[in-house]
Amino acid sequence: MQQPPPPPRSIECIQRRYFGVKRHLAPPPQHYHQRSPIRPQYPVSAQAQAQIRQRRPYHSHFQSVFPTTHEYTHSQTAILSAALEHVPEHGFTLEALTLGARDAGFLDVSVQLFSRREFDLVLFWLASRRGLLKGKVEEEEEGLFDNVIDEDTRARGNNTSRLSVDEKVKVLVMERLRMNEKIVHRWQDALALMSFPTNVPLSLSELHTLSSDILYLAGDTSVDASWYTKRLSLSTIYASAEFFMTQDASPDFTATEAFVDRRIEDNKAISEKIKNVKQCLRVMAGTAVGLGRSWGMKL
Amino acid sequence: MPYRRSIWRTLHYKPKRKFTFLQTSYRCFSCSLNVGQVQQNKSKDTERMTHFGFATVPESEKVLKVGAVFSSVATSYDTMNDLMSLGIHRLWKDSFVRSLNPGSRLPRHDIDNKSNGWNILDIAGGTGDIAFRMLDHATNINKDRETRVTVADINSDMLVEGEKRSLETPYYKSGRLTFMQANAESMPSIPDNSVDLYTVAFGIRNFTNKQSALVEAFRVLKPGGVFACLEFSRVSNNIFNEIYKRWSFSAIPLIGQVVAGDRASYQYLVESIENFPSQKEFRGMIQAAGFMIPGQGYENLTGGIAAIHKGVKPVLKM
Repeated sequence: MQQPPPPPRSIECIQRRYFGVKRHLAPPPQHYHQRSPIRPQYPVSAQAQAQIRQRRPYHSHFQSVFPTTHEYTHSQTAILSAALEHVPEHGFTLEALTLGARDAGFLDVSVQLFSRREFDLVLFWLASRRGLLKGKVEEEEEGLFDNVIDEDTRARGNNTSRLSVDEKVKVLVMERLRMNEKIVHRWQDALALMSFPTNVPLSLSELHTLSSDILYLAGDTSVDASWYTKRLSLSTIYASAEFFMTQDASPDFTATEAFVDRRIEDNKAISEKIKNVKQCLRVMAGTAVGLGRSWGMKL
Repeated sequence: MPYRRSIWRTLHYKPKRKFTFLQTSYRCFSCSLNVGQVQQNKSKDTERMTHFGFATVPESEKVLKVGAVFSSVATSYDTMNDLMSLGIHRLWKDSFVRSLNPGSRLPRHDIDNKSNGWNILDIAGGTGDIAFRMLDHATNINKDRETRVTVADINSDMLVEGEKRSLETPYYKSGRLTFMQANAESMPSIPDNSVDLYTVAFGIRNFTNKQSALVEAFRVLKPGGVFACLEFSRVSNNIFNEIYKRWSFSAIPLIGQVVAGDRASYQYLVESIENFPSQKEFRGMIQAAGFMIPGQGYENLTGGIAAIHKGVKPVLKM
């Protein structure tokens, strides 16, 4: 008599067997300001899921198919999105948040949903703009870089030109800065809020995530120590450009663009200098060892 | 030496005389204990039991017992709070009200909304501590003269104390402050979806059935309304917890005995604090009643001696 085939093993079962514990199934850790007891669940159609899977160069069993850049709940997102409409008039304040709550059909008292008050509004602005930037690059037709390439090719008459990582970074930084255009007159208040001592860790983590995203979207694939230095220098460039932009009165922010250009050039120059110094030191050390040996030292 | 003897006499006898005078007070909790015990013998075993301090009593009796405690302490309530918490309870209450920020700063433009201000329901707020602070904050900081507070308490003695104190505030007979006697577990006089903000400060600990009180809070709140609770909780730091427990189990009943002449009531107070669920358990209870939990759901005060819990009633979208 033939034995029935063994039932197929689920991934969970296999994981439990090889890793011993179930905790590997827990969602990946988020930034702690993004942690909330209720995770938003977006209904995503199977078709959309397949599309998203195709677009992504990797596959993750743990990540949701529809990634969001923030962890606010549905109600919170509704209030915050409505509140952003009031930011140009009222700034990043409790008033804007209250008006947003009213627009979303909530009461004045419902701003209690935000334990960090107006700073939640700033965080939501940062996170949602980061998501928009991602969306712009990942758009299948007329992506961010496609437009830029078109302009370039028109200028050079070259169809196959491809942007380097540095050029892409510049495009992304400028695109992100341009998103601040509508609220740039209120951005100084937001920067002040972000530099408030208790808010500094969250602001820095958001800045780091942004520069990490920009480098990822620009196609940076370094896996050595330069992974850290690149993110650090990009964070510095972006933060200083944001400061510069609040004082920029030039049309279409040409001064800011020039500023970003100069900073990226500086950055390149500095890394070049460091490389040269390193090389020089290596040569000198080699010479010293050779000299010692020629004097009879046992090196 | 007659002079020295007279000093000794004053030192020696005065506290003693005072003590005996206070012991004869018929409102004290220890007297009501005997009454309670007689009733306990009568009650059937079939009745549901609940906590009363460290003791287990039938549910019907807890109401009476808690009532006796608060009737007994009503007059000396404020002095005792100051002594027990070294005045810190005022800071907690201030921070509670400040975090809620009652009152609308912005005028409403829609016509269908007749009243501008918030409708606040302060449960177990007999002496008006929270209510007066709310109204002060709304008037002075948010310039809102329409926000009104309803103070509800199950104990009429505490309400009398609050009404007495309201005479000294500008809100007496202004229509913004009303007192009512009600049981937080069922308040048929308050319609559904009518309250913006439901607060309960140092009260929910004494409720017989906390979960049904939370469900009732969910019923009376408007969609988007907020449930806020200030209550004693668990201290997270072990060393600090040791000191705090020492203080609460040895000093507080002693202060109660000396100042209010009623040790048993304050013994109940510290035991009920010990029995109250921890921050996370209580957050689970709020969530179970249907509320949305903002962020972490609670905020510790003074290392977790007290904690502010919040829940928001969800708005149902069409």
